Amino acid sequence: MAMEIFTVGRGQEGYPERLMPFADMPSRLFVRGALPADEQKTAAIVGARICTAYGKSQAAFFAQVLAANGVAVISGLACGIDAAAHEGALRGKGKTFAVLGCGVDICYPKQNYPLMRRMLENGGGVLSEFPPGAEPLPWHFPIRNRVISALADVVLVIEAKEKSGSLITADYALEQGKTVFALPGRTTDATSRGCNRLIAQGAEIAISPETILEELGVKKAGTKRAAPRPRYGKEAEMVLKTLAAEPQNLAQLAGSTGIPLQELTGILLALEIDGVIAENPPGVYMALS
Amino acid sequence: MYCSVLSATVSGMEMIPVQVEADVSDGMPQFTMVGYVSAQVKEAQDRVRTALKNMGISLPPKRITINLSPADVRKEGSRFDLPIAAGVLMTLGRIPPRSLRKTMVLGELGLDGHVQEISGVFPAAAKARELGCTTLLVPAGNAAEGGLVGGLHVVGIQNLQELLNYCCEGKMPSLPSIENQKKEDGKEPDFSEVQGQTAARRAALIAAAGFHNLLMLGPPGSGKSMIARRIPTIMPPMSEEEQMEVTRIYSIAGMLAKGEGVRRERPFRAPHHTMTPQALAGGGKQPSPGEITLAHRGVLFLDELPEMTRTTIEILRQPLEEHRIVISRVSGNYVFPASFLMVAAMNPCPCGFYPDLSRCTCAPGDISRYLSRVSQPFLDRMDLCVQVEALSYEDLHGEERCESSARMREKATAAAEIQAARYRQESIHFNSELKAGQIEKYCILEKAAEELLEDAFRRLRLSARSYHGIIRTARTIADLDGAVKIGVPHISEAICFRSADKSIWRI
Repeated sequence: MAMEIFTVGRGQEGYPERLMPFADMPSRLFVRGALPADEQKTAAIVGARICTAYGKSQAAFFAQVLAANGVAVISGLACGIDAAAHEGALRGKGKTFAVLGCGVDICYPKQNYPLMRRMLENGGGVLSEFPPGAEPLPWHFPIRNRVISALADVVLVIEAKEKSGSLITADYALEQGKTVFALPGRTTDATSRGCNRLIAQGAEIAISPETILEELGVKKAGTKRAAPRPRYGKEAEMVLKTLAAEPQNLAQLAGSTGIPLQELTGILLALEIDGVIAENPPGVYMALS
Repeated sequence: MYCSVLSATVSGMEMIPVQVEADVSDGMPQFTMVGYVSAQVKEAQDRVRTALKNMGISLPPKRITINLSPADVRKEGSRFDLPIAAGVLMTLGRIPPRSLRKTMVLGELGLDGHVQEISGVFPAAAKARELGCTTLLVPAGNAAEGGLVGGLHVVGIQNLQELLNYCCEGKMPSLPSIENQKKEDGKEPDFSEVQGQTAARRAALIAAAGFHNLLMLGPPGSGKSMIARRIPTIMPPMSEEEQMEVTRIYSIAGMLAKGEGVRRERPFRAPHHTMTPQALAGGGKQPSPGEITLAHRGVLFLDELPEMTRTTIEILRQPLEEHRIVISRVSGNYVFPASFLMVAAMNPCPCGFYPDLSRCTCAPGDISRYLSRVSQPFLDRMDLCVQVEALSYEDLHGEERCESSARMREKATAAAEIQAARYRQESIHFNSELKAGQIEKYCILEKAAEELLEDAFRRLRLSARSYHGIIRTARTIADLDGAVKIGVPHISEAICFRSADKSIWRI
């Protein structure tokens, strides 16, 4: 993946139109791959690095639907929600862009390198205001968030704790006059408190990707509905219902469903093979929506 | 005059016979010791001289030379005090020269002439019999240990006077009844004390029945150590042969309790995570058994696994495969047995609460760094992996008494008997030792089970290594069920308890 790094200065051709109205935008951008086209609709999906399995799957789902409808997905290539959003956009066969807090020749965190490569291969790009070779220093990340929100037409916050970098992005977005969506969560979940607070403060509620498409004025392409998942036996359905509420491990499940352990393992394995549930971390089961 | 007394020294797990030769000749009055002796052995001369003096036997102003032969084997420890004293007494004519024929002598001396217990009496006794000795002369505290080897007349003495009485008059010292120091302080740990933890309890039973290694993941205070401590109590009892192996190790390590004969309980070793690699593997200039050898036929419990240094953890790889460890030193190679059941415990993240995000305070980098301290090859050797949950109030306060160790042991023993019968043609005892070739022969899957395993293999992206691990575990689960063929429930349970794979391990 020998992709050239190029720079665009403010005012030069190719500098994103979306950044022009704001004074505090970088005077030049270092880019690898492409920049989001000015005429394409864009949505930023941001959230916590440490997130729940639910948050990850929702980020991927929203990104997938948006990308499938021609919306470019912008995020920060961090682990957790950011990575899930990029991943979902690639699954939706769309373009996805990352604004980095380090030089564009560096992949931080390293584990996202394969993801970054696929983003570049699929017409997306990574950009940064920091020159090549710049280290991922802690203070870089909050300030790059202003570029994420400025590049996006809407900002969707998936999961955020009460003190979260994602909320900085939301603040920038509001300052810049963008619409902010937040994914609602349970009040008891630490990872949802930031989102719920945003909603309380007047952010739009992201009930479904369609609400975001509507806001962007994109007409949803007639997509085929996903086949309804197969119905299982009484006990398997009980397991699914329990897991839908909360990820649980083997012993907790045995306790909450009352199914004997030996039987339970059979049910869990069948569900896991069908891809209805997954393990993360090993031994903790969660329902996939 | 020259005299010689037979003794023995420890070399790894072996005993080497040593002739203690004493000679008194004219010359400058001095006490010389030769024969590649360590400082500990050299100190014997002061103990012997003083002990003899305190018995009223003063050494003549002559040159006394002690040689420990063979002279090219390093000798350590204090077990040569008694044979040296006996040799000196013989040369001085205080005891008849033929009184210690066909006798092996071992023991440490105190300054007042009393005889102290030493280590390694059991293997020395075996060696003595092998050499055709008829009598073993050891400290009284070691007599029970020496008596484990049949066909040997064991004489336990408490002081030098008894040695004189025995040699001169053939008077057998009266053995004091030595209290078995193995104290029965209250109750042995029992699984019925573990509340809740259905999954971990089941995993422990499978581990004990088939000698599978077990990894426990869970937040601090959830009872991982408590469960590990109780695993030896549910393992099938040791065979006589195994008891002798363990007794030999503990005898050499000097860890048999005073007056204890055979070690009947399976060992449980829980070394601290700060131990050095040598402490784990065994080491020293003259290598002595390490923790993995002390855990032979029992449980080696490694708590806080990621806190151990990488080199220490990786040492375990070879012993886990070969069930022994070879330690190479300048003086030669030493083989120590190390067939143990490994139980490891770790927190899922540095703070211990992941994936409970409302309590976990770790950064993602911290968690992956923490988990990456345990390598994939190591994880591959863990057949079982189980989540141990934090207990709820109901669990702790529940009236319900859980299954006792005795009941669980019955099940494990039944499964072990099935395995023993199945593998009587092979050199293995337990399912966990099955090699890839043997798996095909002994692990026959039902058609449906085979299909399920194939599905799971594709869908869950299992590795070839974990595939074999799953079949081995399923074999044990089927044995616990008394089933001849491995069925669907056995396979699915084995997969649910399968070892963690690094790829899904990452957050």
